[in-house]
Amino acid sequence: MSLLRNTVSGLRSLFRKKQVDRELDEELRAYQEMATEEKMKQGMNRQGALRAVRLEQGSLVAAKEIVRSGRWESFVEMFWQDLRYALRRLRMVPAFTIATILTLALGIGATTSIFTLVHSVLLKSLPVASPGELYRLGKESRCCYQGGYSQENEFSLVSYDLYKYLRNNTEGFSELAAFPALEHVFGFRRAGTSEAAQSSPGELVSGNYFSMFGIRAYVGRMLTDADDQPNAPPVLVMSYRLWQERYGSDPSVIGSVLNLNDKPFTVVGITPPGFFGDSLRSSPPDFFLPLNTEPFVESDADLNKVDTHWLELIGRIQPGANSASIEAAMRVELKQWLRSHWGEMSANDRARFPEQTLYLRPGGAGITSMREQYEHWLQILMMVSGFVLLIVCANVANLMLVRGMERRRQTSLSMALGAQTTRILSQPLSESVLLSLFAGAAGLVIAFACTDVILHFAFPTFAGFASVPISASPSKPVLLFAFVVSLLTGVAFGIGPAWMATRVDPIEALRGGSRSTGDEGSLPRKALVVFQAAFSLVLLSAAGLLTAALQRLENQDLGFVQDGRIVASMDPRLAGYRSDQLPTLYRRIHDSVASIPGVSSVALCQYSPVGYGWGAGIWVDGQPAPGPKDDNSAAWDRVSAGYLQVIGTPIVKGRGISEEDTETSRKVAVINEAFARKFFKNEDAIGKHFGKEAGNSRQYEVVGIAKDARYLTLDRSDRAFFFLPEEQADYTQTNMGSLFLHDIVILIAPGARLSDTQIRQAMASADPNLPILSIRTLKEKVATQLTQQRLIARLTSLFGVLALILASIGLYGVTAYNVGRRTSEIGVRMALGASQGDVVRLVLRGAFLLIALGLILGIPLSLAASRVLNSQLYGLNPYDPAPIAIAVVVLGLFGFLATLIPTRRATKVVPMVALHYE
Amino acid sequence: MPDKPSNLFQGTPDMLILKTVALEPMYGYGISVRIEQMSRGVFRLNAGSLFLAIQRLERDGLIEGEWKPTENNRRARYYSPTEKGRKRLNNETREWGRQVAAIARILEAS
Repeated sequence: MSLLRNTVSGLRSLFRKKQVDRELDEELRAYQEMATEEKMKQGMNRQGALRAVRLEQGSLVAAKEIVRSGRWESFVEMFWQDLRYALRRLRMVPAFTIATILTLALGIGATTSIFTLVHSVLLKSLPVASPGELYRLGKESRCCYQGGYSQENEFSLVSYDLYKYLRNNTEGFSELAAFPALEHVFGFRRAGTSEAAQSSPGELVSGNYFSMFGIRAYVGRMLTDADDQPNAPPVLVMSYRLWQERYGSDPSVIGSVLNLNDKPFTVVGITPPGFFGDSLRSSPPDFFLPLNTEPFVESDADLNKVDTHWLELIGRIQPGANSASIEAAMRVELKQWLRSHWGEMSANDRARFPEQTLYLRPGGAGITSMREQYEHWLQILMMVSGFVLLIVCANVANLMLVRGMERRRQTSLSMALGAQTTRILSQPLSESVLLSLFAGAAGLVIAFACTDVILHFAFPTFAGFASVPISASPSKPVLLFAFVVSLLTGVAFGIGPAWMATRVDPIEALRGGSRSTGDEGSLPRKALVVFQAAFSLVLLSAAGLLTAALQRLENQDLGFVQDGRIVASMDPRLAGYRSDQLPTLYRRIHDSVASIPGVSSVALCQYSPVGYGWGAGIWVDGQPAPGPKDDNSAAWDRVSAGYLQVIGTPIVKGRGISEEDTETSRKVAVINEAFARKFFKNEDAIGKHFGKEAGNSRQYEVVGIAKDARYLTLDRSDRAFFFLPEEQADYTQTNMGSLFLHDIVILIAPGARLSDTQIRQAMASADPNLPILSIRTLKEKVATQLTQQRLIARLTSLFGVLALILASIGLYGVTAYNVGRRTSEIGVRMALGASQGDVVRLVLRGAFLLIALGLILGIPLSLAASRVLNSQLYGLNPYDPAPIAIAVVVLGLFGFLATLIPTRRATKVVPMVALHYE
Repeated sequence: MPDKPSNLFQGTPDMLILKTVALEPMYGYGISVRIEQMSRGVFRLNAGSLFLAIQRLERDGLIEGEWKPTENNRRARYYSPTEKGRKRLNNETREWGRQVAAIARILEAS
């Protein structure tokens, strides 16, 4: 109450300053008058009475100041006054002001931009109701399928059966929802229209998914438990984005039928605009369908496989429930469930039964696979931009110091006249805070543009797909961040110069000694240049290392040939193909594409490099069965005849997959060198047998060994890998996922050119309903693997160049300032017979001493930074001297250029003129 | 009686001012003279401290001011306690009495 009154009264005196002041004046004057009259009554004359009152009471002005200082708003007034002065002073030096604001804006903008990403990817919760109540299963994200009855470290994925068991038996959750770990893509088309089939990501979710998140429909309704029953009519919920972009927010979409993978679904509702599902992904889902429609819509259904674990869990706990006790209860349930399947468990599963456990973790951010993927490089970028900001601060602090030096006389005068230290301090400080706030505003614009570009490169969008749900426009936390950073920056670069200003000795300064020989008072400025040089070196060498690592990745021997190959991607499942129809389809596609003029050869495969492969546990004929702790893993790919020749992987021994491998011939496999090393040691692998199913070690005969290649990731070629002929696949196994080939690799004849249209036409003549997901060169496909790597390298280089320029400007400024101050000294030296060479040496020695100190400091810092970068270098030696050496040379060169102009000016000093100076 | 006015209460003259205006609405100079008279010259407020305290009391809602002509036909701001101010004065007076009595008992103990 009294606080309110105080505030109101304070505001009143702030806005009606004149009136409040007038009233105070009048009261004080009345007081004085009355006191004087009193004295006159006692017999003094008027003049004497006035004098006596003044002696007793002090001056009216002083009394007024005392009363005023008791008001809180007087601080506001003082602050306001300082700001106005600062603004006026800055207006008088527009060049300085603009240069400073721009420099600062670059630093603040870069930092804010990276923070926008850090905030969206690492810090933000899902846009759902009370994310604090959500808990997810699993400490770490895991993809995408786990088989059997044991999981390493923790049980983080569950089968539908286990999900139902946990959901029905766990108390403490108000809802527990499930959805697959793997993103699915669906082909879709509105029923009864002539629109072409398209593909979009979709998600199968349990019926309580939306009620668990507390998400209400934008239009229509969301899914319910009633929709998620084995015989419920198939319905789906569409994303707002798809509804708006593809169907122009047409209300008739709700209630209409949409064919998903050629199966009819009724659209029952639209999700609200901001909702992007349970995890931050580069392409959020456009459909949500009940889990129980999986067997209906997917040819390879996992729903009823008790031991296929493919679902993530997120639950909302009841208010007041304890997550630790729920976790404990779920661990017991897991054991009970496993025990009830003891009969089906393998020996390995049984051996690992005691260590099976699960973890419940806060799930407000959803499934954080993206967070885990990007965490490290965002940290690197945050650090890099922080360095840039520090360099910017150092640079601006230097400019402010020079300004402070120029204002020295004025400051001395103020101090001699009795100005308070706080007021002297607050002047340069308010100037720097003002500058940094302006720069913060400008920095937001830079940050917005910068984030937009980074998002574009970091998360390339596919046509028709939703883009990553990260907005470049600043959110409230980002605005707050920019404001706080600006304020801190302002204080950081302003406090030093401000403090220096109060340290002037009034007498010394008033004597007007601008003549100087030594470097007195310039220590802080020099320290700042040293500091800048050191940090620039860190950034430059980091940029060098990252670029070198990138180049190494790009130019290494991949084990296959990138040039002259085109990869077309499809998904026969999206056109509703059954497995028994596949061999004919593959044959038709092969022949149709091979007949395009300019095509040298064609092969189909499940996955072309680089990226995916199926995993398997290997049982080798004639060797003991692998134990529970043995690593017997290998990756494999199903390919059509001639595939290895088409992608250009050399055969080291034996032969590749060829036309002679048919349905009826012996079952063969081609392995890579790493596979041979891992499983056959020193023996000759050709003619040996192995299998990828437990107990079946005579499944395949090795007929060839291919050179190691980087099929799965670009940084490693030493993973065991084998190829199986498509012709020998068992197409009687209904709709098994591995039967569906995705990529068509086309080798172009030398000198020929091939257009996308030709390929599309050829595919359409094989089957017009088959959607083509993408057509790109193998080179492009490989390049996208390095997007992240390239982005970090480029951004770090950009920041490095920025740092270099800033450091050079800083050095130039200090050298130029010193030469200016020492003009008369140089004149004296020259008059006494110093040659031009001596003068050059004098100036350069000063400048290079600073750079050298910076380098000496910077080299250990750079080495420390390299350690942090180690995981991003893909095997490049982090202590490689070349990048640091190059950075040192570049920095030295720029330092030399920066000092060249002031040095030339120093040599042009004419002794007589210099001595007449002042 | 000390030669010089005591500044023991210079820091917290609020209650003295409140008591003075509770007796009868009074303007700045009048308050200062009253306090000096009533304390027989022990306490004296200069203009700065006086108006600082008045400002504080007014902002806390304990007194309120009104411009009125004085007996000499001069315009002055008369201060009088608000309801809240009177209550505060009563409480403080009682509290003060208790404390003085307690201190006296301690000092007189033998």
